[in-house]
Amino acid sequence: MNSTQKDDKSEGKAGKILPAEDGITSTIITFLKKSLEEKQLEAVMMPSKIPNTEAWTWLLLQDESLLASCNPLPPVMTVQGGKALSNVTKHGDLHEKVAAVMRPCEVQAAVELLKLKQIDLDNIYLISVDCPGAMPLQDYMADPEKTTKAFEEAFSTWGENESVRPVCQICHQFSLPLPQQSAPSDNSPPKNEGKFPAADLHIGLIGGDGTNVFLIPATAKGKELLDKLDLSAEDSMANWESKVEEIRERKFNKRKAADAEWQAKTEGVDNLAAVFDDCINCHNCKSACPVCYCQQCYFDSQLLQFSPESYLGRAEKRGALRFPLDTLLFHVGRMSHMALSCVSCGACEDACPMSIPVGQVFTMMGNKTQDYFAYTPGLDRNEPLPLQIFKEDEFGEVETPREGAEAPAEETEKNV
Amino acid sequence: MSKAVKIQQSTEDGLRSFFESLLQNKTVKGIFTLRKTNDEGGISYALITDAEDLKNAVPLYPQMPTNAGKILSDFTLLEPIQEPVAAVLRPCELRAFTELVKRNHGNLDNVLLISLTCGGVLSLKSLRGGNGTKDLSSYWESVGKAELAPNIRETCNTCVQFIPQNADMVIATVGQKDMNKECTIFATTPKGEDYAQAAPGSTVSEEMENEKTQALMDKRSEQKATSLETFKNNQSGLKALIKTFAPCLGCHGCRQVCPICLCHLCDFDSKTLEYQPVNVRSELNQKGGLKVPPGNIFFHLGRMSHMAVSCVSCGMCSDVCPVNIPVATLFSTVGDALEKVFEYVPGRSLDEPVPEGTYKEQEFVEIGEQ
Amino acid sequence: MNGQIGVYVCECGPNIKDRIDIDKVLEDISSLENVKVAKRFPLLCSNDGKKFLEEEIAKEELTHLVVAACSPREHEQTFMTVCKQAGLNPYLFQLINIREQCAWMIPDKEQATAKAIQYIRAGIQRVAFHRPLEPKEIDSIPDVCVIGGGISGLETSLSLAGKDRRVYLVEKTDSLGGMAGKLSKLLPYQGSELSSVEAKIKQAQDNANIEIFTSSEVSDVRGFLGNFDITISSHGESSEARKIQAGAVVVTTGFGLYDPGNDSQYGLGQIDNVITALEFEEMLGKDKLLLKSGKPPKSVALIHCIGRKELGYCSKVCCLYSIKFAHRIKDMSSDMDVTELYMDLCLPHKSDQAYFDEAKEKGIRFIRSGEDVLVKNKGTQIEVEYDRDGQKDSITVDMVVLAPAMVPSEGTTALAEMLNIPLDKTGFFKEIHEILDPISTPIEGVYIAGCAVGPRNIPESIVQSQAASGKILSSLIPGKKIKPEVKVSEIREDFCTGCQTCLSICFYGAISYDPIKDVSVVNEVICRGCGSCVGSCPSGAIRSKHFTYPQLYREVLEALR
Repeated sequence: MNSTQKDDKSEGKAGKILPAEDGITSTIITFLKKSLEEKQLEAVMMPSKIPNTEAWTWLLLQDESLLASCNPLPPVMTVQGGKALSNVTKHGDLHEKVAAVMRPCEVQAAVELLKLKQIDLDNIYLISVDCPGAMPLQDYMADPEKTTKAFEEAFSTWGENESVRPVCQICHQFSLPLPQQSAPSDNSPPKNEGKFPAADLHIGLIGGDGTNVFLIPATAKGKELLDKLDLSAEDSMANWESKVEEIRERKFNKRKAADAEWQAKTEGVDNLAAVFDDCINCHNCKSACPVCYCQQCYFDSQLLQFSPESYLGRAEKRGALRFPLDTLLFHVGRMSHMALSCVSCGACEDACPMSIPVGQVFTMMGNKTQDYFAYTPGLDRNEPLPLQIFKEDEFGEVETPREGAEAPAEETEKNV
Repeated sequence: MSKAVKIQQSTEDGLRSFFESLLQNKTVKGIFTLRKTNDEGGISYALITDAEDLKNAVPLYPQMPTNAGKILSDFTLLEPIQEPVAAVLRPCELRAFTELVKRNHGNLDNVLLISLTCGGVLSLKSLRGGNGTKDLSSYWESVGKAELAPNIRETCNTCVQFIPQNADMVIATVGQKDMNKECTIFATTPKGEDYAQAAPGSTVSEEMENEKTQALMDKRSEQKATSLETFKNNQSGLKALIKTFAPCLGCHGCRQVCPICLCHLCDFDSKTLEYQPVNVRSELNQKGGLKVPPGNIFFHLGRMSHMAVSCVSCGMCSDVCPVNIPVATLFSTVGDALEKVFEYVPGRSLDEPVPEGTYKEQEFVEIGEQ
Repeated sequence: MNGQIGVYVCECGPNIKDRIDIDKVLEDISSLENVKVAKRFPLLCSNDGKKFLEEEIAKEELTHLVVAACSPREHEQTFMTVCKQAGLNPYLFQLINIREQCAWMIPDKEQATAKAIQYIRAGIQRVAFHRPLEPKEIDSIPDVCVIGGGISGLETSLSLAGKDRRVYLVEKTDSLGGMAGKLSKLLPYQGSELSSVEAKIKQAQDNANIEIFTSSEVSDVRGFLGNFDITISSHGESSEARKIQAGAVVVTTGFGLYDPGNDSQYGLGQIDNVITALEFEEMLGKDKLLLKSGKPPKSVALIHCIGRKELGYCSKVCCLYSIKFAHRIKDMSSDMDVTELYMDLCLPHKSDQAYFDEAKEKGIRFIRSGEDVLVKNKGTQIEVEYDRDGQKDSITVDMVVLAPAMVPSEGTTALAEMLNIPLDKTGFFKEIHEILDPISTPIEGVYIAGCAVGPRNIPESIVQSQAASGKILSSLIPGKKIKPEVKVSEIREDFCTGCQTCLSICFYGAISYDPIKDVSVVNEVICRGCGSCVGSCPSGAIRSKHFTYPQLYREVLEALR
């Protein structure tokens, strides 16, 4: 299995514009159909509604007729797309050219999984789509029709929509990261700086006013696919680019505010415990998380099995001991294992039966720890995972001199 | 007729007094029961060792955040408890614990088993956020009148095992109209009788099962029959199963919270059943498409085949399902049918061996003959 | 638990007996459920003591042995041997230190006794979870592969080769001798002439136990101490790969010379008659000291420390050889004007100071010129500008000889990756400890010697080559089996997802990836049991054989009771 893909980013932002006469979804489906017919692709993986139900699932298909029930942007995120792709390629290449059409955070998760060797992206064309967010799964289960309608509105309100999930409201990775030359500053969203982008091809919807769909190649592989398809109409994506930047700036500021808010809410053990008070230790958050990849989670393992005597001892020390044990340990432990790869997809929060804002807390922690390592998960296939590399000069500021050791003497004429 | 202790306090206060005396006399080292974590809500099981802390205990709170049988199993998995501990658990939780003990996943030594005639628990979803402040008056009213309580778990609605077996003591709630004045605790074993002496109340003789409990039994049986009919009409057959499990995310939360699912690493989480590229390709080529993640129905049917015979219908599985699949109803219905076939009732008796582990030479002859 | 644990407290003469109430200890320990017997003995490490323990193990049918005595560093092996002799697996044993960690540091007897009891109880809890571990023995190949045929490689090969030990000497260029072979004359006090390098080359060629590969490179190395599989590829048309097996590898790839670049302050490649030391050696070797014009120079400037500032280290040998050059020039023509410009002088050896003084007596000028030396054209001559104490000065000469720093030789990075050995900040191979272990690498069986490790002169390279040979001669004995570490890590296949986090963490290259099973695998021969992988696995799929979770948990739990 390849650990990293060696590929260049495509130059500039030229792409193809597809007029969306029959609506965005059918335009995209037509494009995929064409690719299958012309054998540029051999299979497609994308969300599909299950006939006679309101349920959504991922479908890996070769039969074009199955595209009829597909939709690149369902109102909800059910199984995280990166996780789904890993399910079918964990043990190797499918040897078929597959286009996987997913939300940007799902593409990022797929790239993180690539670094963790849990997915094979050879022969996979990762196609991301501008994403207005996803609706809370609970809302959808309660009233699918109403929720779907609210979701459709999100396409016009885009960055300002408050009915989408909280993590979506503060997501600034909703589109293709744009390579920029300028240095990142604290007050603006981090630029991609020419790193190897995660997706091969991106479908831009923003700025298209619902009448146009932009197909933007992001890698040479993506460009090749697009070129082979010989689609008409090539134009500059300036309109899309500028609109995306505008929305991104707004969302990035929202994200900073949310981070500060959640940091305050979870400061100290008591506050953190209060947030997770309702937790029943079902571990759904862990199961839904795309980057939690362990065959058996440490916190489900026998390593945390203790004698009744030790439990009783602990209970006696405090007067009462809550069961199941170590709720906070599970969350903080999981955080320490995966926060650096957290793509803020929100699958965890959707899966929580007790409506705990897990996604929001983990997003805040993820953002903070990622900043600390200057690492952005899923953005660049060649950026190594911070926990797997050793840098000798790192975090010098947290190293305190040993007691009794003198501070380095100042350089004087005599010393030199 | 059974011996019972009557404490002239509300049922909950009476219980707290009883527990207080147990702790203060050092007859037990701890009380395992439901407890409020703080004033805003949050109910979880806890082991209380300090009598002062009993003010936070809410033993009868109609919520099951985790199946207590599973917790007691984890507690006594490595070794038996060396010191006496009292545990308050619902009939289905006690049955689950019994099933686990049979499978060597728990130990009953030194545990005083206190159960209750159970009116059911409210679904977790209805209790999210601020649990401790919910208005439970309509619930308790129904329980007092031995009627079906509103908003309880589907499997509670159809439960006919609400009178516990194998407990040392049983707290009376169903049909008890004076729960705000009186606390009645039945002592159903010699051990229970022994401990009952610590209760600050008078001893009486009463029938644990009476016309009230029978009334609820009848109503529940009716619900059960209806549920079975509905199932037979709508949910059986592969097509129906596909529809039922269509929204399934494969999170396996149902397995995680199920007390009977005891495997350290579930087969369906292990590498054995992961798809290899050749499997994916062959299904893709044969059928033109493949649902991802694959193996959904297989997981559920597989899990069913492994544990349904011991399913105690506690309903934890439905409650944790993020997409509201009625897992518990399905598994409970199939479980009931399986249990009939084997003439087995999970948790009825410690001496009754688990069907999978027993061999009877003359069994299912009719299938062989066909 | 069906264990029968025997606990024996050593009096250690007066050391423990006088400071700890042993009877009290025994009383407490005897009351523990899984302890079959608890006794005391005057000196357990004595012959009597060892015999006593052996008899006790048999008599009491002990399944585990606990000894409370001195530090494991002293006698862990002693008692493990006793276990072996008594037929008890030596890993079902725990040595508790109640001497250094109790008796010798706690003055109050009661306190010391209490602590000793705590420790022993904790150790008993731990030992109950020990599993028998079987030490392994593997055959080893005594042959050695030496990479690099310069003076270090030659010396190493000659020291090692013998009837029972073949040496495979691999050289990238088409001839042996390396940089030393290019020298026209070795420094006088180093003894004999150029012929010493030539002599060594001839010795190596004549040695039937040394197989020489020139124009060849090592292209693949797999395996571990005692069992390396090495592929040697030769350049050129008939590029066949030859596979050999060796028990150890010595890297003697030497050095390259710093290239200041075409537009540097030194004018190399820009200004005529600015040459490097190596080029100058060649001239001296032909006894022809001439300018580009064909005439002999009348004045020469020798500039030291080229690249020292940029690279951040002194190359140690350049001062000496520059002085050597100066002497040679003066010997050729005494009225030649010779100036040496340097940042600092490096004259560390016994005869160096005298050599330097002699040079000054011959009229060779030494100028401490600092870093900012600028070489410029001045008509047909060369002007060398320098800064001295804030004042600019210059000299005009016919020829400039630059002494460039030593840098790692080409291919060092690739070779390091192949062998999985580290490089240090300077890019040379990194020794385990600069002072105390200068020729070993973290990979057992792979040694580094000579300038491959950093700038050094020929005698130092010879010493290092002999040191590496010594290590190999004493450890890789023909016929001797290798006993790898027993307390290694192990991976539970069913729980490993093949993410290879442990692989990237392992410093020793002991973990590899099995692409068919899609799991990581620990090579128990290479594994040193450091446990880094155990900490790195998020799921706990990898664990240490002798530091398991239950062992540690039980020990700590008991200690903190």
